[in-house]
Amino acid sequence: MTDTHAVFDIVMPGLQTLVQDYPGRRGLQSKGFFPSGPMDHVSFRIANALVGNEPGAPALEIPMGRLALRALAETWVAVTGAEGSGIRLNSTPMPLGETVRVVPGDEITCSIVKGPGFRLYLAVAGGIDVPMVMGSRATYTMGGIGGVEGRALVKGDVLRARPVTAPPPRLRVPASLRPALANVWEVEVMRGPHADPDFLTEQDWKDLIGREWKVDLNSNRVGTRLESHRFQWARPSGGVAGGHASNVLDGSYPIGGINTNGDVPVILGPDGPTAGGFTVIATVVQAGLWKVGQLRPGRDLIRFREVSLDEALALAARVDYTTDPHHYEEL
Amino acid sequence: MTAVIARRPAEGDRPAIVYRAAGDRHVLVEYGEMALDLELNFFVTGVTAHLAEHPVPGLVEAAPGFRSLLLHHEPAAIDRKALIDAVEEAHLAQRSVRSLVLPSRLITLPIAFDDSESREAVRRYTTTIRQEAPNIRDNSNIDYIVEYNGLPGRDALYATVTGTEWWNAYTGFFPGLPFMFPLDPRNAITVPKYNPTRTWTAEGAVGIGGPCVAIYPVEAPGGYQLFGRTVPVYDILARHEVFRDDPILIRPGDRVRFEPVSEDQLLAARRDVLENRYEYVIENDQFSVTDYLARAAEVRAEADTLRSAREAAAARTEVP
Repeated sequence: MTDTHAVFDIVMPGLQTLVQDYPGRRGLQSKGFFPSGPMDHVSFRIANALVGNEPGAPALEIPMGRLALRALAETWVAVTGAEGSGIRLNSTPMPLGETVRVVPGDEITCSIVKGPGFRLYLAVAGGIDVPMVMGSRATYTMGGIGGVEGRALVKGDVLRARPVTAPPPRLRVPASLRPALANVWEVEVMRGPHADPDFLTEQDWKDLIGREWKVDLNSNRVGTRLESHRFQWARPSGGVAGGHASNVLDGSYPIGGINTNGDVPVILGPDGPTAGGFTVIATVVQAGLWKVGQLRPGRDLIRFREVSLDEALALAARVDYTTDPHHYEEL
Repeated sequence: MTAVIARRPAEGDRPAIVYRAAGDRHVLVEYGEMALDLELNFFVTGVTAHLAEHPVPGLVEAAPGFRSLLLHHEPAAIDRKALIDAVEEAHLAQRSVRSLVLPSRLITLPIAFDDSESREAVRRYTTTIRQEAPNIRDNSNIDYIVEYNGLPGRDALYATVTGTEWWNAYTGFFPGLPFMFPLDPRNAITVPKYNPTRTWTAEGAVGIGGPCVAIYPVEAPGGYQLFGRTVPVYDILARHEVFRDDPILIRPGDRVRFEPVSEDQLLAARRDVLENRYEYVIENDQFSVTDYLARAAEVRAEADTLRSAREAAAARTEVP
């Protein structure tokens, strides 16, 4: 208790506000744990960078907005991610992507996110102090672990942070380095593991890449569901793995995998199933994963763009560059 | 572009290998043919153990499947080619699986067939996801499993489930879910998965997808056809002492035997678990691949006949 201080009182918890860290709980997939962590890992890391934290320090993920919290200490915060939340510090609009000082009694409030984008991230200097559980502080609600008692925040929760010895420099993310939010998204994928020619037909692959997909309302941290689509499939059936050609003998899934549940493609999220018996026809690359976290369920559209391994790695380096505070403007 | 990075033909006792791209951080390695061949799973177990004993820098984790291994790596620390070279070494180090003796516990679990929570999961699916589906009759998947396998009735299905030990090939999906396959090949049944999947399944539900039987460790979405319910197999709060050292009950290489009980008996057992009064029946044991192969060979002809009949029934049955 002595080395942390209370920083926020949760006045209104929002839909499912969670403490996350990055890269989350790694290396436990073979026990059935996906890493958890932020759905938009870029906005999350930028928020931390703006308050002088390590990029993966524990911070808040706020889907859809509707959060209100009261500051209990003088500290520095930064909010990143979705636009159109009407976020305010007391009665003044609060800028996204900037270091902001708060003092005891200050209130940060936002309404329902109008977009573009769907999730806000809020980091506090020193990082939110929650216990380390199985190697990470990330909340995983289905397993009941991490964050605040393995659950989403509720009204009355008090968050603590490690105090910082000196104020962090006040920074702003230049427009050129801010993640570009949209209502129609282009998400980078690599083909496979179960693509053409042995699982999909060439036409199936063209269909996946060529069309716009609507994001289903039933989308969350477990998976982002797309519309039902009848693929032709290269195999008449899944054989011993089940009669539908989307069925394979069960194996482990990559995070970001586009998993065909029968006829419904689902992008596997950070709390998703680690394994199962459906084909994974394409995989969202590291540099594209953050976009999946900003898709608005029931409204946004996505188009997939195939990239090579080399392009995926180059894009990942570009994304990492935007999370480095050395490239930010000093205020 | 192609998803296949490389293929290696079978050589001696080593199965054929295909390396598949799974994004920029994962490579999926698949072994042998897509067949219910437990020797492939024993091979996966051997490679996984080798990689654990000889860590590869930059390899975050090797996560097994029934006949596959998913390699999660940091491209900054190891590129894809070096990763595959490192795994090839692990393949070369494998001896024949046929003489393996593995530590394996035998866990006996109660099962209530056609329980009300599984029926509730099916009912919710029909009201929220898909109203009419061939795998659903009267809020249950059981008659579909029976028909798809040409079994004479529900009792024959229940006898098939309780009449063999189930081998936990690996763990995954959600924390602590065992992916189990029958050690008696005569008890191998198969069924297509949901299309699309459910958004809710009760904790403790038992279902089958393809040839694999699973126990849902937490409330979860799911795609398996449900037929019963058992006691908890995962508890992070360790309300029962069996979960004190590990929140996961069933480890890879453990075997499960199901014992039929009434739903009232099951609910009483589930209450006893929460109060730390239930006695999980766990025998420490070993599993000899040699003995397994010998037993499987003895019943092979009978198993083949049964399989042909089941495949014929499957061909006559609608797929979801």
